[in-house]
Amino acid sequence: MLKMNLQFFSAHKGTGSTSNGRDSAGRRLGSKVADGQTVKPGMIIYRQRGTHIYPGKNVKRGGDDTLFALTDGVVRFERKGRHNKQVSVYPVSEAVAK
Amino acid sequence: MIRIIFDHNDHNDIISFKLMGHANSGKYGQDIVCAAVSALSISTVNSLFKIANIKPKVISDDVNGGLLNVKINNCSDQLKHDRAQTLLLNLENGLVDISKNYGKYIQLKINA
Repeated sequence: MLKMNLQFFSAHKGTGSTSNGRDSAGRRLGSKVADGQTVKPGMIIYRQRGTHIYPGKNVKRGGDDTLFALTDGVVRFERKGRHNKQVSVYPVSEAVAK
Repeated sequence: MIRIIFDHNDHNDIISFKLMGHANSGKYGQDIVCAAVSALSISTVNSLFKIANIKPKVISDDVNGGLLNVKINNCSDQLKHDRAQTLLLNLENGLVDISKNYGKYIQLKINA
């Protein structure tokens, strides 16, 4: 006697469906201004989650860790200790000397 | 595509039938042609045992499916023979009808 298998002549075992397959849109994080560029007060320099880069001189950290300029000047990405980085904004006159 | 072969003898009795392949008319679990062919053929085989009380030689691939080969032995008992032939003719007729409407998924051949 045979077992009544209604998929006996069906091609192949069905692959289970997955409940995955969703993802949120990219948040476009990262640097918005390059080293040496001039910025104005309030301009966003770096979008980040957490402090990949720390705020340096004339730069402040927003609620979502965004770094933005406090004054007019030139952007400089610098080292902060042995392992970290920071970003500062120097007035044009001061920046030229650097 | 499922390929079906029926063999008849000189008295036009069905002496064997063979079904090979897969219908591929839908996803696994939604393949209606496969379900129809499976139901008809498996039901016929089980009825040959239970209703006609004969013991056909059955070869089937229960792991992968897609293969059913049945051979009917000679039967001296007229009642058993008639019942078996009725069941087999019913199967052949059903599969012929299915192949007319779903010819893309079934290929049927009758060797007289």
